[in-house]
Amino acid sequence: MSIRLWRAGLPGLAIMLVPLGESVAHEIVGNRFFPATLGIDDPGVNDELSLPTVSNFKTGDDPSFRQRDISADFSKRITEAFAVSFGSTYSSFRPPGGPDSLGAAGFQNLDTTFKYRLFKNPEHEFVMSVGLSIEWGGTGAQSVGADPFNTYTPTLWFGKGFGDLPDTLSWVRPVAITGQVGYAIPGRNSTTTFSVDPDSGDLTADTEFHPRVLNWGATIQYSMPYLKSAVIDLGLPDFVNRFIPIVEATLQTPVSNTFTSGTMTTGTINPGFLWVGNTFQIGIEALIPINRQSGTNVGVIAQLHFYLDDIDPRGIGKPIFGGPVQPASPFPRN
Amino acid sequence: MQRSAIVVVIPLLLWLVTGQASAHAFLDHAQPRVGNTVATAPREVTLWFTQKLEPAFSSVTVTNAAGQRVDTGKTRVSGNQMSVSLRSGGAGTYRVTWRVLSVDTHTTDGSFTFQVGQ
Repeated sequence: MSIRLWRAGLPGLAIMLVPLGESVAHEIVGNRFFPATLGIDDPGVNDELSLPTVSNFKTGDDPSFRQRDISADFSKRITEAFAVSFGSTYSSFRPPGGPDSLGAAGFQNLDTTFKYRLFKNPEHEFVMSVGLSIEWGGTGAQSVGADPFNTYTPTLWFGKGFGDLPDTLSWVRPVAITGQVGYAIPGRNSTTTFSVDPDSGDLTADTEFHPRVLNWGATIQYSMPYLKSAVIDLGLPDFVNRFIPIVEATLQTPVSNTFTSGTMTTGTINPGFLWVGNTFQIGIEALIPINRQSGTNVGVIAQLHFYLDDIDPRGIGKPIFGGPVQPASPFPRN
Repeated sequence: MQRSAIVVVIPLLLWLVTGQASAHAFLDHAQPRVGNTVATAPREVTLWFTQKLEPAFSSVTVTNAAGQRVDTGKTRVSGNQMSVSLRSGGAGTYRVTWRVLSVDTHTTDGSFTFQVGQ
C-alpha cells in the first residue's frame, strides 16, 4: 500500500483507537446518578458489565465499508475508588474492507483500564477520575486493524450535574454533562513495510507513522429520574421516568507524529437515550459522523449494561478490599 | 466460535436478569410530592424508596424557608417507606433531606423541596 493510501485510511484507523464499546462505569454523587454512557466512559468507577455493545456503521476509509462490532466490558472495583476494567471487541468488515478488500473479521486488541476516582462532591454533583488505558498490541487480528504494538492512553474523566442551580432554573437541574480527555500514545512511532513493485520490480518501502491522538468527548444528558425525585414529580408513568435523553460526542484528533495521518479531527455525534432499570440499563444512539473521514452514513450503537454492585452486592459487586465508603457529605447536607 | 459464545452468553444474561437483586435505594415518590405545592403545611412527610431500608441507618430531616428544622426528629421506617412528623409551620418552601441505607448495604442520599400555600 502506498503512503497516499495509508493517509486515506488513517482517519478510520484513528477511530479504531477508541473502541466504541469501552464505557463501563456508572456513578452516584448525591442526588445525581451518572449512567454508563455508550460513546465515552462516564466519570465514575463501579462493578459493571456491558454485554453486549453492538454497533453498525460505514467507515471513513476510502473506499468506505460497513463495519459491525460486538464488544463486552467488565469492570471490577479493587477498592471503593479504584477499578480495573477489561474489554474485548469482535469486528466484522464487509467488502471492500480488510487487507485484501474481501472483508475481514476478528478480534480487536484487548483493552485494560485502570481507573481511580480522585474527587467526589455530592453537594455540587461533581466527580473526577483519572486512569490509564492499555491496548495490548498483538492480541487482536491485524486484518481488522489491530495494531501489533501497545497503545497507552492516560485519561481524565469528569462529570457535573446542575442540581445546584437556583430555583429559577429548576427545570435545568436534571441536566448533567460528562467528559473525557485522553492522550493515546502508541508504543511504536512508525511501521515500515517493504514490498516489490509488480510493474517495475523495484523494492519499495512504505512507512506508516503512528500518531499520538487526543481522544476527547463529552455528553449532555437530561435525567428524567432526577426530575422526578429531586425537582418535580409530574406524575408521569414510571416507564417514562426512567429515560435519560442524551447526546454524546466522541472525537479523535491526531496531535503529533502526524506525517502520514494528518491532523484532521474525526468522530461522531451520538444522539439517543438510555433507559435505567434497577439492575441494568439499555441504551441506543445514532452515530452521526462529523465529516467524510469519520464515516459515510449514520450508524447505530446499542448496549445492554448490568450494575453488578446491585445484582450481587455481597459478592462480585463489592470492592475486593474494604467496604463501600459512605457518601462524602455528612447528613444532613443542608 | 460464535456458537460457543452464545452458549456462554445466554445463560449469563439469564442469570443477570433473573438473579436475586437488591439495588440502591432511590427515592421513588414522596408525599407531599416532589416539587409540588400543597395548600396547608402537612403533618408529616413520607418517602417511598425503590428498595427496603435499614431503619437504624435511614433518616430524613425537613427544614423551612428560613433553614430551621421543622421535623420532630423521629424518623419511622417500615419496609421501603420512611416518614417523619412535622411541627406546625407556615407557608413557604420546605426542603426534605434524606439519607438511607438499603438492605443490601448501599447508602444513598438526596434532597428535594415542596411548597406550602404559594
